[in-house]
Amino acid sequence: MRRRLAGISLLGVLALTAAACGNGGEGGGTQAAAGPVTITMWTRAATQTQSERLVQEYNKTHKNQVKLTVIPTDNYQPRIAAAAGARQLPDVFAADVIFVPNYTSQGLFLDVTDRIAALPFKDKLAPSHMKLGTLDGRMYTLPHTLDLSVWFWNKDLYEKAGLDPEKGPKTLKEFAQQATAVQEKLGKDGKVHGTFFGGNCGGCYVFTFWPSVWAAGAQVMNDEGTQSLNDRPAMLEVFKIWRELYEKKATGPTAKEEQGPTWTGFFPKGEIGVMPMPSTTLGLMPKDMRIGVTPIAGPDGGESTFVGGDSIGIGSTTKNADAAWEFLSWTVGDQAQVEVMAKNKDVLARTDLASNKYSAEDPRVVLINSLVGKGRTPYALRFGQTYNDPQGPWLRYAREAVFGDPAKLPQLNAEITKSLQQ
Amino acid sequence: MSRYLTLSALAVLFLFPLVWSGWASLEDPSDYLEMARFGEGLGTYATNSVLVAAMTVTGTLVVSALGGYGFARFDFPGKNVLFLATLAILMVPYATVLIPLYVLLGHLGLQNSLVGLSLVFVMFQLPFALFMMRNAFEALPRELEEAALVDGCGTFLAFTRILLHAVRPALITVALFAFLASWNDFFAPLILLNDGSSFTLPVAVVSMTQQTFGAIDYGMLQAGVMVMAIPCLVLFIVLQRHYVRGFMSGALRG
Amino acid sequence: MTLTIDRAGRAARSRPPARWWRSRKAQGWLYAAPTAVIVGVLFVAPLVLVVWMSLNRWPLLGSATFNAPDNYTKILDNPLFADAVVFTLKYTVLTTVLLSAVALGLALLVQDRRPGIGFFRTAFFLPGAVGFAAAALLFYGMLNNDFGPIDPMLQAIGLTREPVKWIGTPNMALFSTITLVIWRFAGFNMLILLTGLQAIPTEVYEAARSDGAGRRQIFTRITLPLLRPTLALMLILSVTGSLLAFDQFFVFTNGGPDNSTVSMVMVVYRDAFFRFDLGGAAAISVVLLAALVGLNAFLMRRLR
Repeated sequence: MRRRLAGISLLGVLALTAAACGNGGEGGGTQAAAGPVTITMWTRAATQTQSERLVQEYNKTHKNQVKLTVIPTDNYQPRIAAAAGARQLPDVFAADVIFVPNYTSQGLFLDVTDRIAALPFKDKLAPSHMKLGTLDGRMYTLPHTLDLSVWFWNKDLYEKAGLDPEKGPKTLKEFAQQATAVQEKLGKDGKVHGTFFGGNCGGCYVFTFWPSVWAAGAQVMNDEGTQSLNDRPAMLEVFKIWRELYEKKATGPTAKEEQGPTWTGFFPKGEIGVMPMPSTTLGLMPKDMRIGVTPIAGPDGGESTFVGGDSIGIGSTTKNADAAWEFLSWTVGDQAQVEVMAKNKDVLARTDLASNKYSAEDPRVVLINSLVGKGRTPYALRFGQTYNDPQGPWLRYAREAVFGDPAKLPQLNAEITKSLQQ
Repeated sequence: MSRYLTLSALAVLFLFPLVWSGWASLEDPSDYLEMARFGEGLGTYATNSVLVAAMTVTGTLVVSALGGYGFARFDFPGKNVLFLATLAILMVPYATVLIPLYVLLGHLGLQNSLVGLSLVFVMFQLPFALFMMRNAFEALPRELEEAALVDGCGTFLAFTRILLHAVRPALITVALFAFLASWNDFFAPLILLNDGSSFTLPVAVVSMTQQTFGAIDYGMLQAGVMVMAIPCLVLFIVLQRHYVRGFMSGALRG
Repeated sequence: MTLTIDRAGRAARSRPPARWWRSRKAQGWLYAAPTAVIVGVLFVAPLVLVVWMSLNRWPLLGSATFNAPDNYTKILDNPLFADAVVFTLKYTVLTTVLLSAVALGLALLVQDRRPGIGFFRTAFFLPGAVGFAAAALLFYGMLNNDFGPIDPMLQAIGLTREPVKWIGTPNMALFSTITLVIWRFAGFNMLILLTGLQAIPTEVYEAARSDGAGRRQIFTRITLPLLRPTLALMLILSVTGSLLAFDQFFVFTNGGPDNSTVSMVMVVYRDAFFRFDLGGAAAISVVLLAALVGLNAFLMRRLR
């Protein structure tokens, strides 16, 4: 009998301790009246390197501290949704710039319009990131990391295929010719391929194909992001060129199935002649590999890029808005931009710092930096669920356009528009 | 003889993925080093995982042993409703209850805490554990209990002194599955924990294998899968005799 | 509180069991109390909230607005969900049949105690130790056309000429997923069936054999009927698990190619976490839960 009662009271004690521990944890998050503050920050794994460097440098030089939590990229959106649902957003969080309009419209970010207006370099912040962080004239985010799509070509393979290793493609048609040449000369062993793309990955398509449309002076959506223009001739011509490359088997046999996990993995192995790549991968390439970098072009010329990456804002449920802003404004200041970002060959969030003491070391970095002003980041409130989501309508559309039946395109394009307007 | 041939061929098929993964993870051992240094350090995540597993196993054993005995030997109002409600846990899509759970844990002061996470795991383990323990107690001869009661023990004394020993195989089986579930689960810790320093192994491993645009570092992934799987495999093999007996002791009769 | 109970307990010990807490009913309740607390607080309460969410437009932040039954009626307009229902049912039937067959085969092979049989039981059961999401990633790597080991092996023994599109076509994606599920869960189901097989008394077999029954007759006339309760349990577990399938498709096929492998729970996940339509996701969950409870009640009644 006594044992049973002892058992029951033990349970009670357990429950009490449990509650106490939990409370202790929560108490740490509230702001102390004076003295240094620790703010929480979330970022997705894809851009953690840059975030970690910034946070480290900040913590070294400031009284306030930032505690960074890295969350798996594919699960970042669910994590944010759950945190918002429970009113438990971190003080500061970064997000794929593409998702920012949606997050802003859901009220996840704090309005920082007046704080941004006080920055001396407010007009020099990466324009497309700023545009996506603006809703109804109010501003919510700052650029955090930038990742641009550019064409990489492998100079060694070009040489072996009898192409000029110093001359990359200037138009999408040249791109196709050079890819085909590499395929024909070197593709016999089945290892080397002319080019590659993520054929079952919606985000890969928009990142690598759309710049060709913009370079040709055309659009993929209307400005409000409510109508798909992907059925216009400019986009269709780009699809046609890629379709021919696939049909000629110049793209590598697994392109059609590529869901994203390995799409950037083939180029560094030296197996691809020329392909669109994220600019952030330049620093990760094998040291001895000779790589050329050139802007993505339209079918007959022009140049453009998809300005991807992350924006960063203050969580709307925060209690530490001032400390959070102090950190945010520091990340886009001269010191952090040059001594942290530029030093590590990252693309800068400020157009006025594009040429700095580090960029001069690598002309390819200057080229990428110079594209920030020319590139675009498409704006749409329903971007993620339309274009990135594997179950969204865009992936169906793009796959029909490249591998399937073009007759189905008009109807599927209407689906895209419908999804954008939801 | 042909039976052994068939068995061997099947065993090769079943073991191949594990063997390949282990072998491939050793191709570039630097992955293990890189992993050990990731984020807060592998040690932190492993400690969190061990803590959560320990709390989950303890909680599941206490709750399901008491409950199993109650359901097997007593009649009380609401018994069937409670049992069916417990089984219904199996029938709800995991992802949907997590957001309300997250909100609720906040009210209990258990948000972002390993204790809260463990309680959630205990809840998800209950259908299996309670079913198992109820059947294990039912399978015991009543004489065992009656003898103890005649000797002057209360039911609780009979329960702790005698019956718990008799259902040990079932307890070990329940503990093993509670361990596996809490050790391997990815989604609950992802949603319920706010703070990188309290992440468990699966979340950390997935974080470290993901790169830009969803690219996956396969070397790291295989190393991660191995680090997570080896403790499970060892436990599995060490406890083999017990859980087979746990199942055999009639614990999973329909 | 501890004190009062303790004193009461001492009093109770010295007297005959007349006090309320000595009654069997109350004792039963005390034993079941922890279960009731866990289930009540961590399952029923969130579930009530899910039901409430399904009756509202539920934004991420800000206040909810009552809109019943909109979240329910719009399920019918969701073409993705309609396809997912058909696909999930197909997947459930295929998986349940194949998984049961493989598990039964394995159980029959390892049911007798022979030297070395423990090794084989462990071998078949071992994949169950790997987390399901990790197992899905492992298969994704293993079947990868670029660096996976399966294609070169099949080509080496001359079964195939070129890399197989393991998740490239709808049928292959379904096939590969079911293979993964069987690999991961066959051992567990084998063990359940083994329990049932061992419960059949050997005298029954001996009697049948002395009556001149052949192996096949023994299997169909004795083993299968006596195994029925165990098979029923396995069936219920497999059907429930398959109808709620998520990880295998989310991690392994990503719903592709071309939305051919989108399960019902994937639609729930997409609505909640990609479209931030928490109310809509909750409504689908409620419907799913109701359907599963109904189906399981039906199965239990029919199979017992």
